[in-house]
This record gives sequence, C-alpha cells and structure tokens, in this order.
Amino acid sequence: MKLLLDSSSSLLFSLLLAQLPVFTSASPVPQRRPSDMDKLSNQTRNLMKLTQELLREHAFDSDVEPHRFRSLPEMGNRSANDLSNLELKSTLSQLHADLKLYEHHFEWLNKVSKKHHHPAVPKLVEMIREMKSLISLLHRQMQRVEAPRLTPATPSLPPHLPYQFDVLQSSHELLQHFKLFCDWAYRAFISLKPKVTAVQ
Amino acid sequence: MPGLLSSPVCLTVIWFLSWSLRPSCAQILTDEVSGVQYGHLESNVTLACGKSQIRIPVVWHLNHSSVLPWHKVTSDGSLVLMHVDHSAQGIYSCYDNQGLLLHSVKLRLGHPPGLLSVSCQVPNHTYVRCSWVESVATFLPAQYNASFRGSGQEWRPCVVDIVRKHCDVDRPAFWQTIHTLRITATNALGSETTYARFKLHELLKPDPPESVLVNELEGFPKRLIVSWTFPASWPLHDAFPLVFQIRYRPLGSMYWSEIYSEESPVVIFDALAGHLHQVQIRARDEVNAESQWSEWSPLLLARPWEVFTTPYPTEEVPPELFFPINTKPETSTAKSHNPVLEDEGSLGLVILLVLFSVVILITVLSLIYVMWVRQRRRDHVTKQELTSMVKMKSMPI
Repeated sequence: MKLLLDSSSSLLFSLLLAQLPVFTSASPVPQRRPSDMDKLSNQTRNLMKLTQELLREHAFDSDVEPHRFRSLPEMGNRSANDLSNLELKSTLSQLHADLKLYEHHFEWLNKVSKKHHHPAVPKLVEMIREMKSLISLLHRQMQRVEAPRLTPATPSLPPHLPYQFDVLQSSHELLQHFKLFCDWAYRAFISLKPKVTAVQ
Repeated sequence: MPGLLSSPVCLTVIWFLSWSLRPSCAQILTDEVSGVQYGHLESNVTLACGKSQIRIPVVWHLNHSSVLPWHKVTSDGSLVLMHVDHSAQGIYSCYDNQGLLLHSVKLRLGHPPGLLSVSCQVPNHTYVRCSWVESVATFLPAQYNASFRGSGQEWRPCVVDIVRKHCDVDRPAFWQTIHTLRITATNALGSETTYARFKLHELLKPDPPESVLVNELEGFPKRLIVSWTFPASWPLHDAFPLVFQIRYRPLGSMYWSEIYSEESPVVIFDALAGHLHQVQIRARDEVNAESQWSEWSPLLLARPWEVFTTPYPTEEVPPELFFPINTKPETSTAKSHNPVLEDEGSLGLVILLVLFSVVILITVLSLIYVMWVRQRRRDHVTKQELTSMVKMKSMPI
C-alpha cells in the first residue's frame, strides 16, 4: 500500500510536470496558417534566393547577350502593367508550363555539370528539388481553381558542351533568366492572392 | 496693253527703276550670309568665293576686317585657312577688285561626334530614362536618334529631349536579362553610334520616400513616430512592395540606429530623452535584392516629448496607439519596436503564469493529500501496535 501511495504521488507529480512544456509552448494567439498562395510565393522566393546564391558563388562576368537557349519562357511580352490585371487561371497555367520548361533545362544543366564535375552540382540538385516542389504546389492550386494544364513547349537544348567554359556560360545564362522569371512569378503570385481568396 | 508696255516712255521708266534699285540690292547682299560652312578644327579649311570660276583677283575679309588667320588664296579665288582654331570662326566675305561683294559665308568649326557616355535611371518597373554626355567636345549642334530593346527584342524608340540630352522609354520589357540602348549622334561633320548595355533589374532605384514626418508621442519621452508615403513614381500595387530603412541618431552622435519596415508609420522606442534627433528614410524594392536603395530623404530633426512640471509617465502604450501603429518592423538592435506584438507577448506571459500557478497549487494540494493519507495510515498502524501491546500485557504469563 505504501509503495502504491508513493508511486501514485510521484506519478501525479510527474504528470503535472510533463504538462508544463505543453502549457509553455501553447501560444495564446493562434498562428495564421499560410494560404496556398503564400506557400507558392514563399517557395518562389526561396528559389530566387537559391538562384542568386548560385550566381554569386559561381560568378561569371558576362554582358554578352544570351543566345544558347532558344526555348526558355518568353519574358519580353510581360510588362509591369500586366501584373495589375492578371487573369487567375491562365496565369497559373502559364506559370506551371514555364516552370516545367525550366525544370527540363535545369535537369539538362545538372547532367552536363555532373559530367564536367562542376562544383555547383549539389546546389543545382537542391534547386531542382525545390522547383519540383513548387510545380507540385502550383499544380494542386490549379486543380483547386480548375485551371487547365498547358502542354509545355519542347525544350531545345544545346547538343554538346565540349568545354567547362561552355557549361559556365550556359549555367550563367540559365540562372540569370530564371532569376528574372522568379521575380516576375513572385509578383504574379502576390497579385493573384486576393483573386484566389475570392474564388474559394 | 501691249502697245502701252512697248512704249518708249514705259521702257525708260522700267530701266530707271531697275537702275535706281540696284545699289540698295547690293547693300542688302553686303550684310547677307549665303550659308554656313562647317570645318574640322585643327585642319585646313577651304572657302570658295561663290560658284564663279572666273579667275579674277579677289579680296577676303573676316567679319568686315581684312585681318585673316594663317591662310593662302588659290588661283580661283578660294581661301585656304591653315590649321584652323576657334579664332578662325566668323563671317567670310570675298570682294572683287572693285569692292563688289561676290560671296559671303559663315564658318563654324568643331569636331564630328564621338562615343557618348550613357547612364540610365530606373525609378520603377515601367519607366527608364537614359542620359548621356559627349566624350568629345564637338562645339557643334547635334541631333540624336535613340532606340532601346531587350535581349532578342525589336528596337523601340527612346523619346529624345535634345536640350537635356536624355531619352525616355515607357513600359520597357523589364524582365529581360540585358537591355541595349542605341544612340546615333549626328552633326554637320559626321555621326557616331553608341551602344550601351544595361541590366535594368540592377539599376532599379526608387525615388526617396515622400511626405516624411517625425513627431513626438505625447507622454513618451523616449519615443518618436516616423511616417512617410511611397514615392509618387512608384506604382501602388501589391506586386511592387517596398522595404524602408529608417535611421536615426541624437544630434551630434556618430552612430545611427536602424529600423526596417514595410509599412508606415514606425515608432522609435529608444530615442534619447530630451535630445534632438536626426531622422532619414530610404526605400528599396522588396523583391529584388539586387536593386538599389533610393537616396536618403532630407534630414529631419525632431525631439521626443518632454515634460517640465510632472514626472515621466510609465512607458505604457495607450490603447489608441494600438490601431494606427500596425507595423512589422525589424531592427538592427535586439529591441522590439512593435507595441502590438509586445502586448501580445505580455498577455501570453500572464496566461502562462496563471496556468503555472494553478499547476503548482494542484501539485501542492496533491502532496498535502498524499502526506495526510500517509500520516493517517501511520497513525492507524501505531494504534494497532498499541492495541496489540495492551492485549499482550493483559495476557497471563
């Protein structure tokens, strides 16, 4: 009996102590859950940061007009004024198709970088993983708003890069292009946020 | 009528009129310059005495003076000015040996255009202004023709202001890796085309924030409230957020304190009581980390609220401040500048303390109960022992 009483008291005490962290961690103000559009914009920003890091770490000073990739998403027809009247479904579909195209290009770059033992490979792998995650998030959002899935254009990739210099140049060109795409996509996601809320 | 025109009287009148008007026409020609001729500085310049090929001796004058710079006159009456400098500019006139003006021309000297030194300003995503200065002083008026394009795009006109030497592009295709400006400068002596390449996203530099105000907060001797508006040139749209940097220091101090915020107003919580403070603010595109900070806004001076008759009040945020100060500032110091979040934190702490007190209370009560139960049991055991002892004592041996 004595043993029972001793153990019950310690058990009670332990239980009370165990509850302490629960009480302490419980926030009195409930945290706002990020919306899907928040996730999309955050993920895009994350990708933009990775791209900038890659560009910084593997600096390649070039003012030469890019020419290697002819099938990258067209950015010349996207102006600042367009951002104020974006159509939800078509924009999401277009961004999805664009991202799929970039995914192809970056997978190709990863392959050739591996062949040339380029030091950027680990970060490129991380970038592709993050890109896939963004694509899947975007696809989920498209399904929610019933946005159609566009057929991505067939990428035309340089056939053969014989020298390390070619890899560097291609990488620089692709990253520069993608950085600007992310900038535009991020602005598009934050502009579309109120429209998604209105639809849901 | 034909009879009238052919009459000798009429013919005489016409002849007289034409004769009497001739000297006045010659007088007009004396002051009239038939054209402007341009020449290269530091080279030989040839001025022809009109189109006449008649080999007659001519006399040249510069600005009605017979003193001419280093020169020679050729057999056809042309004037060759040797290795000309600026002093050779003026109106040249050639006369025949009877003093009759044959030809007059204005000479202007200079250089053909050289390459231009170009710079572009990008105050937002919808507008680019490129300005240039000549790398060579041409001394001659020039015309400019400018076009702009993004990589792989068609050339678009850049609208030129000749006087201010700049051109404007409205709604450029901003999200391009490289943009090129092509300017052709043309003057009387030649033309030169300059190509300049830019990365607009790196040149993006907003104008400084506007309507910046720094005010005291009544009742708070260590606070200042800073408010501002977006620069008028920046689009007010969700897609174009700006981040603002506010810096402040007591007048005379070398060290600035900084706060970053995306929204106005911001409260400075650690002002030095009773001191004048300098406050400035600047802006940058929040998305593009490679863009540039705007220039700082003009320096503003402000002093926190001061009390002279009553002691300082406690540093509590009055309820009316909760609503207008909806800021999300970050600061370079560890101090929080957000009264709302501060208050939320203290509320949480109070709830936590209450819960903890309840837990402690339950624990103490539980322990007291356990002790009581144990004590009761012990008493019961002692009673039993005594009873058994009494029983044993009463037993006959």
